[in-house]
Amino acid sequence: MTQDSARRRRANKTIRSMLPFWLIFPTVAVLLAVQVYPALYTIWLSLHDRQPAGWEWVGPRNFDRLFKMGLFGESVGHTALFLVGYTSLTLLLGFFIALLLNRKLKLSGLYITLLFIPWVIADIIVGIVFRLLVVPDYGLLAGILQNPALFPPEGLSVLTASRAAAWVGDFPFPPAPAMIYLILASTWRALPFIILLLLAAMQTVSAEVIESSRIDGANSSQVVRHILVPLMLPTLVVALFSLTLSGMNGVGMVFSLTGGGPGSSTEVLSYMLYALGWRQLEFGRAAALALLIAAINWLLILGTLRVTRLEERNA
Amino acid sequence: MPSLTSKRAQGWLVHAALATICLFALIPVATTVLISFKGERDILRKPPNLFPCDSATQPFDPSACRWSVEGYQRVLAPRPAPEGLLPIRLTGNLVSIYLPNSLLYAGATALLVMLLASMSGYAFSRYRFRGRQTLLVAILAITGIPLLTNLLALYQMGVTLRKADIPLYDDRFFLVVVYTGFFLPLSVWIAKGFFDAIPRDLEEAALIDGCSPLGALLRVSMPLALPGLMAVFLLTFVNVWNEFIAGYLLIAKNEFKPAMFGLYEFLGQNIINLQVVAAACILIALPVVVLFLFARRSFFAAMVEGAIKG
Amino acid sequence: MQRTWTLWFLSVLSLLLAACAAPPPAAEGEATESEAAAPAAQDFVTWYQYDEKNEDPASDERVGNQYLRDTIPLFNEAFAGKWNWVNQPKAWDRMSAEIIAAVQSGGDVPDLYEMGTGGGDVGVFYRNGVMQDLRPWAEAQPWYSEMDPSALAACTGPDGGLYCIPIAERPHLVYVWADRFPNGYPKTPEAFMVEAERLKAEGLYAMTFLGSTAFDGTGTTRAVWTTVSSFGGKFDDGAGAMTLNTPANIAAIEFLRTVVQSGYAPEIAFAGNFQEEEAFKDASAGSFPTGLFGYRYINPLTAPDGTQYSKGNEEDMLDAIAAGDVVLTPFLAAEGQKPGCEISVTGFAIPVGAQNPEAAYDYINWILTPEQNADWVLRPGAGFPALQSTRQSEQFQTPFYQQASEAISASACSPWSGSLERPLEAQKLIMNVVYKLIKEDPSADIAAELQAVEDEYNAAN
Repeated sequence: MTQDSARRRRANKTIRSMLPFWLIFPTVAVLLAVQVYPALYTIWLSLHDRQPAGWEWVGPRNFDRLFKMGLFGESVGHTALFLVGYTSLTLLLGFFIALLLNRKLKLSGLYITLLFIPWVIADIIVGIVFRLLVVPDYGLLAGILQNPALFPPEGLSVLTASRAAAWVGDFPFPPAPAMIYLILASTWRALPFIILLLLAAMQTVSAEVIESSRIDGANSSQVVRHILVPLMLPTLVVALFSLTLSGMNGVGMVFSLTGGGPGSSTEVLSYMLYALGWRQLEFGRAAALALLIAAINWLLILGTLRVTRLEERNA
Repeated sequence: MPSLTSKRAQGWLVHAALATICLFALIPVATTVLISFKGERDILRKPPNLFPCDSATQPFDPSACRWSVEGYQRVLAPRPAPEGLLPIRLTGNLVSIYLPNSLLYAGATALLVMLLASMSGYAFSRYRFRGRQTLLVAILAITGIPLLTNLLALYQMGVTLRKADIPLYDDRFFLVVVYTGFFLPLSVWIAKGFFDAIPRDLEEAALIDGCSPLGALLRVSMPLALPGLMAVFLLTFVNVWNEFIAGYLLIAKNEFKPAMFGLYEFLGQNIINLQVVAAACILIALPVVVLFLFARRSFFAAMVEGAIKG
Repeated sequence: MQRTWTLWFLSVLSLLLAACAAPPPAAEGEATESEAAAPAAQDFVTWYQYDEKNEDPASDERVGNQYLRDTIPLFNEAFAGKWNWVNQPKAWDRMSAEIIAAVQSGGDVPDLYEMGTGGGDVGVFYRNGVMQDLRPWAEAQPWYSEMDPSALAACTGPDGGLYCIPIAERPHLVYVWADRFPNGYPKTPEAFMVEAERLKAEGLYAMTFLGSTAFDGTGTTRAVWTTVSSFGGKFDDGAGAMTLNTPANIAAIEFLRTVVQSGYAPEIAFAGNFQEEEAFKDASAGSFPTGLFGYRYINPLTAPDGTQYSKGNEEDMLDAIAAGDVVLTPFLAAEGQKPGCEISVTGFAIPVGAQNPEAAYDYINWILTPEQNADWVLRPGAGFPALQSTRQSEQFQTPFYQQASEAISASACSPWSGSLERPLEAQKLIMNVVYKLIKEDPSADIAAELQAVEDEYNAAN
């Protein structure tokens, strides 16, 4: 063996061991630039406030002021309400529709395709479309809802009807009609994705398991309760987390459907962040809120990781 | 055992239920199409009518229908163009600015994301190196930073870069990089999943046959992973096309505005002319809906992969 | 810090380009286009809320759009070889955020910024160090002595600096369908309630107004301020602190609460998106307190007697006023008070860091020439000339302007934000609480709610 070929082999080996580095490097570089650096900058921003002379270090004052805003507490309540309504409605409907589709019908491909169209439409367009339906006096749905016979005494105007008085303390329950409508619109858009996810999970539950339990005398609802749901639990949890994440961070729908109104009844945390940052130009306080939202997101992702790990271990 | 007839009845019932659900799912889309084809005088009706087809004597008279393309006309602003190839030219901002920009942003981002995700997805799938697990988890953790959060900083960065007078640089470049960074983490996981599904034996065979590792990647794994990567491309394309808030906040020049930004302008300038807003919505949503209808299998594959892993 | 970041970012980008060989198409053509237009002339960059390239004849901003289309060539001709006017259209509700970010990061700043003071922008810009103090330059100009002092005051910052040059004044007043108030528009709250009850019996509303919290509480600056100031109320103590819980403010909010809860205002007043205008367009609401510039947007119109004004543009309202169907009046006032109203100005500011302030000076002087001034005030300005000499011009002797000027002189107009240094925050806080008190929770204690908001705002002072 000549020295030359030994060198070449060594060089080859270096290239080989360096290859994964070069493959991953661009990804890491982009993420550092567009995700990590801004996140650090946000932390810096949350500790500063703008004065005529420039940025001034204020320590935790932005957080303090944020928590003392009347709107903050209200937004937390709205966000919780929205998330509970949106995730439970989407999961329930999604599970039910996936069950129907799981029967391997002739047209199920067509159904899935049709059902999926809402998902492809941008959230801001969905917001506009749903708003068009209930624009007071002119919206097609408004024409029906504003009928006093349906909603006495004056009919229901979704975009202007006020909240009822809160039942417990300041917690915004019962929600304003606009909040319910916002939940419906968000569900409409998220549903296809959840159907697809649950359907895929359902199809991995082997037909034999279900068939044998049927032979043992279980009826349909028992099969669902005792076999499907437990086997699909990890997927259901993943779906729940993914819905919560999207619901927590999405702003387009509120932006184009209600703009936080009427009053402040659909003001959720993500919209509050947008309004604080780009409407009121309170970048410091907005950054404080942004960090808070990111922290909640991480908790959710940690939860998802836990569950998917469990799944892998069980498999 | 249920009898055959009851089984068939059940089948019909399921079909009926699904058909009803589909109908409900499409009502908002259908009504928007209806609104977009009404004229101003039918838009401003109290109470509203579903079809602009009522006559003095009848509530619905097909011969009296006043369908109108006014909304589309105002969005597209067709002008006669005697010297052009076509007799009319569409001069609306939607056609001349917004849609081409969206196409550029979505296409360029999807391409970049697909390339970067396939490179790193392959590395994560095929190599065991130090820090692999940490890096994977870190990439996942990054998806926890909402775009809206980062926008505070990205906004300032965008303005700083604009001022730096870098040759050939403009806001469009920045937006594409931002979108790439935002949609990359999940795509890396999706791409890794697709590579995991490709048997390693094939590559090893290629390596033994004298292929370099890069050659094995390009000649063996890539073609096999192509459908999966295509799915990443399509998913990113639709996500960028539909993204509003980053484009809205990071783009300063009129000529660089994407379609969702443009839509918001239509909204601001046509507060009561619902037919114009509806027409703009339809024209902007149409491209991705069509894209989806043609490539739905790809979408489904990527979404299931991404949701379960991510 | 920013510099190293830029370098680092660049190196990452170039690496990406090299590694992937898929450069996202960069702008080449357009960037150089504008520079090539007039070789000798320098670019004069403006930010207007109007877009000369938007030729949609039915666009809500068609008047301003057309104005720019008409005058850009005129200016370029007048300053041929010196300046080349390049306009960047900006959305009206986003301009101020953008200019602040642009100035603070030190780049891409226009030479001239079309500025309205209605949102309290003078205070916001002052706090963020965005605009140049134009006082020394302005005082040396021949037109300075002819400026309406109250217009100059609207552009004056807390430090006495002049942060914009006023061109048009935009006071608020009340648009009234004359036939809905055969005895004339009521002058007191008590008289208003009597008329309102009569109209309600006919299935009509006494007034519509921007009652929603939309657009970050811009309603505060409109009917809410009109009402509060007509009851002798204020939002500030003159030294930067908010004062909400005062007897006059409570009385004003009680008035609005009665109007809303008795059904004297239509539900659409709370729909946002300026839909409250709809109730005035079809005359179902008899009056509409809003800005003078509202005439431009409130059309087409149907008068109580069925007369149609259906050109679908700003001429509808002017025609209705000329025909006597619509009249302009001051708002009502509590006993011992003058009717109040908001007054803002619109004009020009020069941002810190502008490349060509000389061009902006030339432009402002050009707009203040007799040939240009009236045109600007009538079209993009939509108000009264701040330059007193222009008021004599015959374009301002129409029924619309005559009625408006009578209404204004019978009112005591002042900027709503007074000495508040965070008007954007204040405006949202106030509108949210007013909405809650008059619409959502008619049993809530007005004094306690106002006090809570006042405390929240002042805690950060």
